[in-house]
Amino acid sequence: MTTPTLTTPARSTPIVSLRGVTRTYRTRDVEVPALVDVDLEVAPGEFVALVGPSGSGKTTLMNVVGCLDRPTSGTCAIHGTDVAGLDDDGLARLRSRTIGFVFQSFNLLPRTSALENVATPLLYQGLGRRERNARARVVLDRLGMSDRLDHEPSQLSGGQQQRVAIARALVTEPALILADEPTGNLDSKTGADMLALLRELNRDGRTILMITHDVTVAASASRQVHIADGRLVA
Amino acid sequence: MSLFELLRLAFSRLATSRLRSALTMLGVIIGVASVVALVGIGQGTTSNITARLNGLGTNLLTVTPGATQSGNTRGAQGSATTLTLADAAQVRTLADVAAVAPELSGQALVRVGAINTTTTILGTTADYPAVRAYNVAAGSFLSDLDVERQLRVAVLGATTASDLGLTSGSIGSVIQIAGLPFEVKGIFAAKGTGTFQNQDDEVVIPVSVVQKYFVGTKNVRTIGVSVASQDSMDVATAEITALLRQRHGLATSATNDFSIANQAQLLETASSISATLTLLLGGIASISLIVGGIGIMNIMLVSVRERTREIGIRKAIGAKRRDILAQFLVEALTLSLLGGCVGVVVGLATSAALSRLGGLAIVLNPLTLGVAVGFSALIGVVFGVWPARQAAVLDPIAALRYE
Repeated sequence: MTTPTLTTPARSTPIVSLRGVTRTYRTRDVEVPALVDVDLEVAPGEFVALVGPSGSGKTTLMNVVGCLDRPTSGTCAIHGTDVAGLDDDGLARLRSRTIGFVFQSFNLLPRTSALENVATPLLYQGLGRRERNARARVVLDRLGMSDRLDHEPSQLSGGQQQRVAIARALVTEPALILADEPTGNLDSKTGADMLALLRELNRDGRTILMITHDVTVAASASRQVHIADGRLVA
Repeated sequence: MSLFELLRLAFSRLATSRLRSALTMLGVIIGVASVVALVGIGQGTTSNITARLNGLGTNLLTVTPGATQSGNTRGAQGSATTLTLADAAQVRTLADVAAVAPELSGQALVRVGAINTTTTILGTTADYPAVRAYNVAAGSFLSDLDVERQLRVAVLGATTASDLGLTSGSIGSVIQIAGLPFEVKGIFAAKGTGTFQNQDDEVVIPVSVVQKYFVGTKNVRTIGVSVASQDSMDVATAEITALLRQRHGLATSATNDFSIANQAQLLETASSISATLTLLLGGIASISLIVGGIGIMNIMLVSVRERTREIGIRKAIGAKRRDILAQFLVEALTLSLLGGCVGVVVGLATSAALSRLGGLAIVLNPLTLGVAVGFSALIGVVFGVWPARQAAVLDPIAALRYE
């Protein structure tokens, strides 16, 4: 089986550029390939859905694109920066500057207010408290959460928590929003709202890479990439 | 991240689990409090001994007679009657000796009008205040002439004087000692610190008068010698030994028929023992502080495990290793420092209670407090660094997936 190369014509530097990326895990003496020879490019302004069943390697791919993991072989460049040769702190810096994560299980900091949750990425960029809170307030306001600033995650509904999570991903003005099953833990109505929000963000110029197993969810994206058994398929 | 941001994070975190934070701090609180209180007691004892040391008289040597010897039976030390006033006079002529006061004492009833008391009657010479570090508060001390002429004059210790209702206005009045009239010549200022007995409860009269009216012998019980300087204590001891051996006509092979005690040395030994005890007490207390530190480490390790997901989230949104390391380290440090400060307060309160209820002398110097707080901070760093490292090196992918 040949691996099709899915690229879009480069308008400028691609946000994501994977070339021959392979990631294998070693369990005891067996090498388990999670990704095999993956080529993927995401251009600025795209809304790409990465679709595949569970165990297909899409989470591994997200970890590589999200600079949480490094490929075993092949090159991975995020916003023009090759991750090879970056140490853990280098990856952390790249994440901090270029990627905003939205997780399936929201992953907000517990017992921490919505405002502080959204402001925390800016803390790790070294910004002062006043500026952090001001910027977090602006983003939360834009997502219609301005009346929930002091609420802790446990006091928010699933949809509200995901809005806070999206605000947290947006607050650093990242080059790429990486959304992992963003509707997975939401009811269909709230999930649809969330997809509409992502489309709206994309219309405003945000580049989004969304991972999902649900083809109907994937239909919201402007381009779909399918993955199975660690390989991209047409 | 600035220290201020880290402290804010630490405090808000510790505030969310108050009971746990308080219990964790309790270990450090108990440790620091016991260090502060025990070292305070130890230093109090040491300074008490030092005060007594100074009250004894400066550079004091005490010459006492040796034991009586009849056949193979030795009497008690000091039972011989070999020291005389002439010995004392000759010792006074030695170069390294500043003052000499022979002493001969007994108990007698002292009466003023209807008031009477039994106290120590001490016979000595004019050098006594210089040798034993007394100050005369009213009147004057005995003169050489008083001793020479065997005048019945008396100088009273502060306690004795007040027991008998005598004041500075009573100088020149007459008191009865064992039925004999004596003129009050002076009253000592209170010394306050007693060594082995109350030094303010005595009546001092010329040694010649004691010999004549009370004991009827020519010897003295002790000779107090004040040496010119601290450095020449050993030289003076040797000189006095040589002089007395010669005066007593002892053969080279014979043992001394007297002994010379350096009481200051004894007390210095006691003082150093007490200092060692202070160290020991402090050391034992430090062990409880270390146990408190282990408590912090334990709770921090639990905390790292519980917050694995939080650590993963923080890493995913841009926290570097040192951000996580610093966050957990500052949390541990906050626990231990806060515990240290509360411990100092508890220790101070305990010391105050002990000195009030138990009558213990307690000395607290800022250095002890500073060292106790500093040590608790050190404990926080030492026992916090391992859990913090555990947190810092967590793999973000595994941490995010941790339930």
